[in-house]
Amino acid sequence: METLSLYVDRDSPVHRVDPISKLLYILAATAIPIILPSLLTAAVVLAISVALLLLGRTFRRVIPLISVIVFVLLTILIIQGLFRAGNVTPLFQLGSLIFYREGLLYAVRISLRVINIMLAFAILILTTKPSDLFETLVRKGLSPRIGYVLSSVLQIIPQMQNTVGTITDAQRSRGMETEGSLAVRLRAFIPLIGPVVMSSLTQTRERSIALEVRGFSAKGKKSFLNEEIQEPYHRFIRWGLLLSIILALVWRVAA
Amino acid sequence: MKKIIVDNLKYRYPSAQELALKGISLEIEKGQFIGVIGPNGAGKSTLCQALVGLVPHFYHGAYGGSVVVGGLEVLKSEISALALKVGLVFQNPFTQVTGAKLTVYDEVAFGLENMGLDRAEMIERIDRALTLLDIYRYKDRNPFDLSGGQMQRLAIASIIAMKPQIIVLDEPTSQLDPQGSEEVFRAVDKLKSEGMTLVMVEHKIEKIAEYADKVALLSGGELVDFDRPIRVFSRPDLERFGVAAPVYTRICRDLKIKDEKTGLYPITLEGAVAAVGSLE
Ligand SMILES: Nc1ncnc2c1ncn2[C@@H]1O[C@H](COP(=O)(O)OP(=O)(O)O)[C@@H](O)[C@H]1O
Ligand SMILES: [Mg+2]
Repeated sequence: METLSLYVDRDSPVHRVDPISKLLYILAATAIPIILPSLLTAAVVLAISVALLLLGRTFRRVIPLISVIVFVLLTILIIQGLFRAGNVTPLFQLGSLIFYREGLLYAVRISLRVINIMLAFAILILTTKPSDLFETLVRKGLSPRIGYVLSSVLQIIPQMQNTVGTITDAQRSRGMETEGSLAVRLRAFIPLIGPVVMSSLTQTRERSIALEVRGFSAKGKKSFLNEEIQEPYHRFIRWGLLLSIILALVWRVAA
Repeated sequence: MKKIIVDNLKYRYPSAQELALKGISLEIEKGQFIGVIGPNGAGKSTLCQALVGLVPHFYHGAYGGSVVVGGLEVLKSEISALALKVGLVFQNPFTQVTGAKLTVYDEVAFGLENMGLDRAEMIERIDRALTLLDIYRYKDRNPFDLSGGQMQRLAIASIIAMKPQIIVLDEPTSQLDPQGSEEVFRAVDKLKSEGMTLVMVEHKIEKIAEYADKVALLSGGELVDFDRPIRVFSRPDLERFGVAAPVYTRICRDLKIKDEKTGLYPITLEGAVAAVGSLE
């Protein structure tokens, strides 16, 4: 069964860390380089993220992501290096183009920040089962309705794609052209909209009935089949991350 | 003991002009199996939804009369409270899967989590329900990977685990292939032998003849008849309500073979065999 999820099922220490700690890591990896805007801070965070991805055996999955980001960031680098207002110190010259130190440094800092945020999110998304993440959030007070929508969307969208597939097959078997030029595809797509929308609406209504009869609207406290995995070291990680953010703030104020 | 009391129930959907139910009254005893039959649009599904409180709480609309289920007055109770008394299984097995759970086991847990049961109690109930419906071996599968019949049994298991006193099945096999239907009927068999109070809408009339203690015949939102199956099926005007009598009844009627004691046409194979036997 396909679900819309980037989760990579591995057994690694990173996978075993709880979702809240990973969320806090995103917070830390975003906040600390802003609080302490030196390149060194950003580089250290980057190194930690890469290490965690390697430890989680999911680094390969972020390579495509990184290459897209690098492409975008290179553009920023070039533009800022050449044209940023406040560029005064020439660094090097390519033909007639002069790259300036200020612009380049600025671009590097921004780039590192973006990469850091992306990688921190990647750690969460690649090493956490979506259902675990959502369940944890519901435990922490997220509305069960939102939790339901988040987790069911990942499964129900592929199911709807299947419905589209079935209807397309039906139309094809009745002799309708569904492949070929864009115009042909478009012509095949339009009569699809009706049945797909209708069946999705009925399905949505039926599914909300199914939820109702399973007591989804009950006002009492919900419980969870899965035990909340609480390792002592999770606490340690969370406090460590919070503490590092606080330390960064103190450092900033003191310095 | 009365499990369901429907008293002069009238109901109109918000978007409709006509009443979908026009003053239905019936009473169902604990442990009874009630078959519900009638043509399309007769109001069978509406009646089912009225028993679990979806009518009127989910659909709204105009409501009159009263329904009392497992001691709860439907109009004054929330659907989630009613769900503990009466469960509903409907046609489409696919839309009864919540979509939020990744395994069959967790899917059954969904309702129990909403009830706030503790873990040990949940595990006990889930194991029992999956075993009863004969799908325990699929417990780690994704619900969407099951066949129609398996998925429908999962829907029943999910309801059973909530331990309602009554289960309402609205055409549970109408979207299944013959094998899936057979699986579901076997499950219904089990529920019946467990002594559950059951209400089942079903077009396969032989199944109603086999299981039902009483049959409710609906047409145009009215309850035309509510009696023992042998009585309902021997109505000469049955076909006028879009219902064909069981095949055994039709054969015996053609051959003019009546049950000696009742003077009615038999409705099951056993009945027909007995009636033929008594001829000699
Ligand atoms: N959601 C709805 N909104 C409006 N009218 C409905 C709705 N569902 C059913 N009806 C109408 O109510 C009547 C009874 O329908 P239903 O209970 O589904 O019949 P059955 O299950 O016996 O085929 C029909 O006339 C049908 O068109
Ligand atoms: Mg119906």
